[in-house]
Amino acid sequence: MNDTLSVTLPADLLAAIEALAENLLRAEPIVHYHQAQARLEADQQAHALLERLSAAQADLRGRQSRGMLTQADVDILRMLQRDAQANPVIMDYAEAQQAALACLPVVNQEISQLLGIDFASLAGPGSC
Amino acid sequence: MEIAEKVIETRTADEGLGSTVRQAARDFAEALAGTPQFEAFEQAAERLRCDQAAQDVIRAFQTKQRSLQVMQMLKAVSVQDQAELDRLREAFLVEPAVAAYLQAQADLTALCRAAADILSRHIGLSFAAACGPGCC
Repeated sequence: MNDTLSVTLPADLLAAIEALAENLLRAEPIVHYHQAQARLEADQQAHALLERLSAAQADLRGRQSRGMLTQADVDILRMLQRDAQANPVIMDYAEAQQAALACLPVVNQEISQLLGIDFASLAGPGSC
Repeated sequence: MEIAEKVIETRTADEGLGSTVRQAARDFAEALAGTPQFEAFEQAAERLRCDQAAQDVIRAFQTKQRSLQVMQMLKAVSVQDQAELDRLREAFLVEPAVAAYLQAQADLTALCRAAADILSRHIGLSFAAACGPGCC
């Protein structure tokens, strides 16, 4: 991440990035994603449920790595997962996020075809 | 005509993106292709392809690496084989055309990451994570 901070981007490249971003922000799946995200952030109940689910998942992973996982832990997680799946705000957000993310490989393909290299592979965090 | 355009617009929206996004993506690619980093990378890649000495050290290193792949997985590479692999890797890395290519690739990678970071911040989604192969 630090190496990208030292890179100075030419003005025309910056302008092209901003134009692409503006166009993407007007694309229906990304508009829907940001609307769904705003609804989620405004919904305290849904927000709290997601936080509990996230905490339960982290707790379960920790217990699993320590060999202390119990059926009760799994049951709690499943209950929270069911609650999340039954929450329309959360489900709309999850589906909208999936649809928005699905657009980006199409954009990458368009960029990569012209460049002759896979832009996202170069732009990614690198292989582990 | 308006109805036909509406139908086409609806269909492209169903596919997720309109033609203006695709055009903006191509404009971005053209701007990236015009940077010194991309041009240097293209030149370094071409030089690497045409440099016989570089191709020889690459082939020698890759051949040895492939021959040791199974033993490496088993963590059973002999000291002699490991030393030979290290020597071939060193010869590969110091070959001028290879070194120039790796430097050009690193410079282009830094530029692409910076560009993707800015794009991701603007759109509120991680571009590289959405398109990448994912972590192993």
